[in-house]
Amino acid sequence: MIQNPFQRKIVIFFLVTLLHASNTNALDFKAYGFIQPESSIYINGDGRHGQDNYNASLFGKGTFVSYLQDGDAKFTISTIGRFDQSDGELRYLDFQKFKYEYYFDDITLKVGNEIVFWGVNETFNIVDIINQSNLAEDIAGTKKLGQPMASISYSQDYGTFDIYLMPYFRVRPFSGKEGRPRLLFEVDKNSITYESSAKKRKMDFALRYSTVIDDLDIGLSHFYGNNRTPVLSPNPLTLKFNSHYPVLSQTGVDIQATKGPWLYKLETVSAKDGSERYLSAAGGIEYTYYGIRKTQSDLGVIVEYAFDDRNDNPFNNEGIVGLRWSMNDVKSSSLLAGYLFDMRGNSNRFQAEFEQRINDNLKLFLDLSFNGSIDGTDFTHQFKEDSQITIKVAKYF
Amino acid sequence: MKNVILALIILISTKLSIAENLEEKGFNIAKSSYESGRGFTDMISDQLMILIDPKGNKVTREISAKSLENLDPNDGDKTITYFETPKDVEGTVMLSHTHINEDDDQWLYLPALTRVKRISSSNKSGSFMGSEVAFEDFSAGDYRKYKWKYIGEEVYEGDLCYVLESYPIYENSGYTRRVGLTDELLRARKIDFYDRKGELLKTVFFENYNLYEDKIWMADSMKVENHQNKNATIFQWQNRKLNVGLDKKEFEKSSLMRLAD
Repeated sequence: MIQNPFQRKIVIFFLVTLLHASNTNALDFKAYGFIQPESSIYINGDGRHGQDNYNASLFGKGTFVSYLQDGDAKFTISTIGRFDQSDGELRYLDFQKFKYEYYFDDITLKVGNEIVFWGVNETFNIVDIINQSNLAEDIAGTKKLGQPMASISYSQDYGTFDIYLMPYFRVRPFSGKEGRPRLLFEVDKNSITYESSAKKRKMDFALRYSTVIDDLDIGLSHFYGNNRTPVLSPNPLTLKFNSHYPVLSQTGVDIQATKGPWLYKLETVSAKDGSERYLSAAGGIEYTYYGIRKTQSDLGVIVEYAFDDRNDNPFNNEGIVGLRWSMNDVKSSSLLAGYLFDMRGNSNRFQAEFEQRINDNLKLFLDLSFNGSIDGTDFTHQFKEDSQITIKVAKYF
Repeated sequence: MKNVILALIILISTKLSIAENLEEKGFNIAKSSYESGRGFTDMISDQLMILIDPKGNKVTREISAKSLENLDPNDGDKTITYFETPKDVEGTVMLSHTHINEDDDQWLYLPALTRVKRISSSNKSGSFMGSEVAFEDFSAGDYRKYKWKYIGEEVYEGDLCYVLESYPIYENSGYTRRVGLTDELLRARKIDFYDRKGELLKTVFFENYNLYEDKIWMADSMKVENHQNKNATIFQWQNRKLNVGLDKKEFEKSSLMRLAD
């Protein structure tokens, strides 16, 4: 299941370390996780590539944390996996975290797989770059792959510096032939090129400074390495997409101001992707009404906008208006709904996620993704007939 | 006529000074009560929260918490809360830098998103995890958050108690008035809370007092009865340890990722 040799080496290294540690002192650990059957119905009927109008899938996550060296060190495994009825690209196991950390007073050292999130926005996470997105899981790119790295974090009163060295690149997964939604063509895994001659073995580098000044949370970051987003070009011979990963040099700023019930968010990026320079900015406002209609429920209103000076970027003039409704009840019922619209044309889609605890060990999720009118020229036109309703039930252990 | 005016002046000023005395007396008892609970430096505990609905159905929530005393008289303590159950929120960590009469600074680590979010905390009157406990109830004993008035004395469970009325200063408080009983050991025993409309909302009973470090009385149980929706919540502290030598750097946003599973 662990497909690349680099990861295999890391896994062996950690298992040896762990066994060694467990011999020397009593193992202080916790383990928990969930397993989640999912069922999707596509309301437009069969897909344009002949996909079925129904799909079943099984997702799971397991977390294991062990404290070593009297709590000065920690070993973490957090793994997710999926077995999908239709899409072979959604049968995988990923070590989101597989890391050893050592804590000094001001310094944290870390080696292994890790998920690192940068940014403040709800929808347009343009600064976030460390982890590869799994587009087979989610076309919005919010589901990530664990990134192998060595990192050092240094904290002082004036802020925190993080340095990341990433010796191994992970190729972006896309939906397979049977996947839904999927791109017009399959992405050919045997036809990948890189700008960097070191290809996957390029040593990616990132640096971040973050600080809190009263009600401001500020982050400054720089990334230099293989871009996580490939350029896809159709190959007339194979009728598949070839992918090319340019080298990306990206400087980002993210700021959130928290003023009572108001959150103000801004992310900006100045980058050079291959030979192309671009500027991107995204931000918004979130306001929460507490105790609406004299109940315990809260209603948050989210407005975000994204701008990119590349005309071909799918998010170059895009907005979202969202609502977050939290009942604050014993079942933690909540609803997140968003209306996403492209301000260049007439494309829009509606998404909603409802969740509610059934009992202490079971939780229900209902996801809805509904494509409205979508321009023929819009990037998302290829997903137009993939409106879906998904029911998930998570069983925790 | 002169005498009448004089008598009136004396009468009014006496009344004023009595009123002032009652406020001062109330304030002083509340301040002493608060200060008798200070000096813990830092604290760790496991907490059990039992939510009981009007039919008697119970669900239990488990969290573990750390707190760091802030000796600054103008600022609040810092706390870290790690959620264990319900299992769907296991691994969620909340960091709060509390402030006395302003919004707290609050960050949440969400394991499903593997992300730290700064969240709004202006809902101090909101429910903590679906319970009858509001965020602001965790600092119910902080005299700096209220205006006080001494009302009298009353015997409660065999102990003589001061009856204190208090009025929140924080503008987003969910309460307009509280009436509480504080015993001669300066321990809060019971508080009635009145909502924004002035109606009785809930009663909090502080129980199972234990003496820590030979000097600090802490209630290891807090029972909340909501008179309006008839729900109840029992909050219990277990394995409570004071003065364990926590590093103040643990209570910064930058350390939150160290606590992430």
